[in-house]
Amino acid sequence: MGFPEAGITVALKVGHGTVRAVEIGSTRLVKAAAMFAGKSPAEVLTILPTLFALCGTAQALTGLEAMEQAGGLFASPATRAARRILVSAEAVAEHGMALARDWPMLMGERPDMETARKFKRTLATVRQHLYPDGDWLTLGGGRLAPDISHLLADIAEAQAAFAHCLGGQVTGLLKDRNTFRAWMTQAPTAIGRMLAQVVSEAQASFGAADLLAMPENGPPDLAERLDGDPDGLYLARPDYRGQVLETGALARNHTHPLVAAILRHEGAGLLARLTARLVDVAAALHEMASLVQDLKAEAAGAARLGSGQGLAATQAARGLLAHRVHLAEGRVSLYRILAPTEWNFHPAGPLARGLTGIRADGDLAARAGLLVAALDPCVTCQVSVEAP
Amino acid sequence: MCMAVPSRIVAIDGQTATVEAFGRERQTSLMLLDEEALVGDYVILGAGGNFAAEKVPQETALATLEYLSGVLADGLA
Repeated sequence: MGFPEAGITVALKVGHGTVRAVEIGSTRLVKAAAMFAGKSPAEVLTILPTLFALCGTAQALTGLEAMEQAGGLFASPATRAARRILVSAEAVAEHGMALARDWPMLMGERPDMETARKFKRTLATVRQHLYPDGDWLTLGGGRLAPDISHLLADIAEAQAAFAHCLGGQVTGLLKDRNTFRAWMTQAPTAIGRMLAQVVSEAQASFGAADLLAMPENGPPDLAERLDGDPDGLYLARPDYRGQVLETGALARNHTHPLVAAILRHEGAGLLARLTARLVDVAAALHEMASLVQDLKAEAAGAARLGSGQGLAATQAARGLLAHRVHLAEGRVSLYRILAPTEWNFHPAGPLARGLTGIRADGDLAARAGLLVAALDPCVTCQVSVEAP
Repeated sequence: MCMAVPSRIVAIDGQTATVEAFGRERQTSLMLLDEEALVGDYVILGAGGNFAAEKVPQETALATLEYLSGVLADGLA
C-alpha cells in the first residue's frame, strides 16, 4: 500500500544562462474528497478536521458551510462572525509558524519555537473562548458562549507574538515603503534580516510576474466548473477563462498601501510576496478584533438538512479554499475540494510564470526556495536546478 | 490536497516521537503540541512531518485512516 501524503516538485530547466522552463509536478490527492459520496454530513464532519495537515479549521468550516447551504440551513450572524474569527485565528497561526519557525531556518538561524507555540496556541484558546463545549463544528452552529475578555486577551497575545517577530514594532511599520525599508536595515530579527538580504542582493523583484489576483469569493464559474469535473482535471489544474489566477496573501492585499508601493517599484516578486504575508497577519488580527463586537451568546442551532447543492469559499491562510457539495436524502452525493495550492503551484501559475526566463545566476535553487516559501504551498516542495 | 495522516506514537525520546502510519515509521518533534503525548496516542503532523500539530482521539484517527485506505484503494490518489 502507498502512503497518502503528497508533495510538489519544481524543476528549473536551465540553458544559456536562463531558466528556459519550469516543470511543476504534484502528487497531491486532489480527488480524495470524492470518497465522501455516500456518507452523512455528520460522518464527513468527523473526518474533515483531521484529514488536513494544515488549515484544518478552514477546511472543516468550509465543508460545514457548504453542507449547510446545500441543506438549506443558515447560520446566525453571530455564528458567522465566530467562524470568521476561527478562520482568521488559524491564518494568524499558520503565517505565524512560518514567521517564527520556518523563515529563520531559511536564513540558517535558529527557529523561535516559543513564539511559534504562542501563535499556534491562539487558535486553541480562541476556539475554547467561543465554544466552551467544543462544538464549533456543528451544523447550524454550536453553542456559542463568547468570553469577550479572554478573547481580547488571546488576540493581544497573538499581536504581541507578531510584534516580537518584527522586533517590537508593528504600528506604523506596515504603512509606507520608506519606513519599511528603513526598518528592515536595522531590524533585530530574522524577518528583518531576511528582507534586508533580499533587498541588498537585488532580489526584491526576483520571480516577478503579472499579478492575476483571485477575486475574494473566487472565480464566477467556480460551482459550474467543480460540478462538471468528473475526472478531476479542473481540481488538478484550475483556470478561469484560460488564465491561472493567484490566490493568497498578495492577491488579498495588493491594494494595501505598502504592498501596492512595492508592486509599483519592484513588481510582484519576492519582496512583495514576503511583505504581503506580514500585512496579511496584521489584517487577520485586525479582523479578529473587529469581529468580536458581532458575537453574542446563542444556543446550538437547528441541524436538520434538506437536499440541494452548496458552494462555500473561504479565504484561508494560503488563499481561496472551495468546497462543493451535493446532498440527497441526507447523504453526500458529490463532494469536491479545490485548495489554493492548485492555483499557485499550477504548471502555468504564478510560481512558474515568475521563474520562467529569469537569469540562472547565484544560488538559484535557494532563491527559488524563498519564492516557494513566500507562496507557501500546503505540502512539502522540492526545488531542483537541471542543466542540459 | 494537503492530506494529514494520523500517526500512532510508538516511542518517545525527550521532545522527539517515533510515529507510525501505513507501515511507515518516522520521527517528529513534539515541541508544538499543546498537550502531553504518550506512546499509543495519535497525532496529525504538519506538512513534511517534522512537527506534530495536534493530538487526535483514537476513534477519529481510526475513522480517518480507514478513509485514507479507501482513497488509496480506489486509486483517487
